[in-house]
Amino acid sequence: MSLSGEFNCIGLCLRLSDFTPFVALFVVVSIALLAASMMLKRPKERLMTFVSAQVAILLAIAATFYLMKCSYMLTFYLYLAYVIISTVLIFAVLRNYDLILIKRLQAKPAGSIMKWAQEFVDRLTSARIYYFDSAVPRAFAAGRSIFVSIGLLELLDDGELKAVLAHEAWHIRNNSRTPYLKQLALMTFSSSSDSELEYMADCFAAEIAGRESLSSARNKVDKVFI
Amino acid sequence: MSTIFKSLYVNCKPMVKLDQINISNNGLTKFFSPIEASILKTLWNEGEMTTSELTEKTKIPLTSVAGTLDRLVKAGYTARRVENVNGRVRYVYEPVFSEEEAATEITTKILDSLVDAFGPLARENFSKYSDKK
Repeated sequence: MSLSGEFNCIGLCLRLSDFTPFVALFVVVSIALLAASMMLKRPKERLMTFVSAQVAILLAIAATFYLMKCSYMLTFYLYLAYVIISTVLIFAVLRNYDLILIKRLQAKPAGSIMKWAQEFVDRLTSARIYYFDSAVPRAFAAGRSIFVSIGLLELLDDGELKAVLAHEAWHIRNNSRTPYLKQLALMTFSSSSDSELEYMADCFAAEIAGRESLSSARNKVDKVFI
Repeated sequence: MSTIFKSLYVNCKPMVKLDQINISNNGLTKFFSPIEASILKTLWNEGEMTTSELTEKTKIPLTSVAGTLDRLVKAGYTARRVENVNGRVRYVYEPVFSEEEAATEITTKILDSLVDAFGPLARENFSKYSDKK
């Protein structure tokens, strides 16, 4: 069967099936939740409603495939392959991406040059700090590692550095949960709500290191720790 | 940096790429980007400098200087080492080439390209030029 024939069949199945109202319902619920997430103020609530909207879309996709009566579904296999590949990428590669980064950046454990920083992070989560050779102030977390550039270390004072490390430690603490958000975003062809996650990481950093340290770090190096 | 290493560097790594030369620009920006030129000039004048000293002297914000410094180090124009003072790390930069070495390299490169383009005619003009001075 050709792809255009398959699309005709999908249209026919949707028109004839008893399940079609469910698909429509899921789509309507999803749109309502999406609208709600845009109107809500608190990041945590925004995140929750946005994720619910994505789940509703996922249910709509599942229901659509369930009510199909077509004999050979190329779209189904394509979608299945897409889901499998993205799952492997997110849960196998992304989780061990720090190993690749250590090699590529030639990063070294920061415990040797800044013992207090490693001890500070040890109290928040189990992660190792690595530093790499670059004057551009940058910090990021991957897998179970926090990466900071030497440019960042020479620019920030201890309080500001604590704020950045706490921000990255929040990412590591939530590394068991945030990949599911990415996975959900890929499966529903939407975006993951990264800005909400960054905001929540900043809230944690402000709690640990103080609001002033965080905002002065943000002022010095906006957009360089993510 | 040892002189052996320095000369090795000069021999194997072209300091200035010919396609970057822009004769209508002013001063060193004929051969370097404005920020690169400003950093190199400052390093030639001052010798060793930390990042904060560099941003202060050149009056260019760190966000612009940092990437350029990475590029200059990677290209071999400047060298840097990491210093650890009282639990704080910082970079110390120094020029790999002196101003004279850079001038010699650039001049040779340009004269070579003129000879390549115009042959004996270029050589004739060189001697005319030096007689005039």
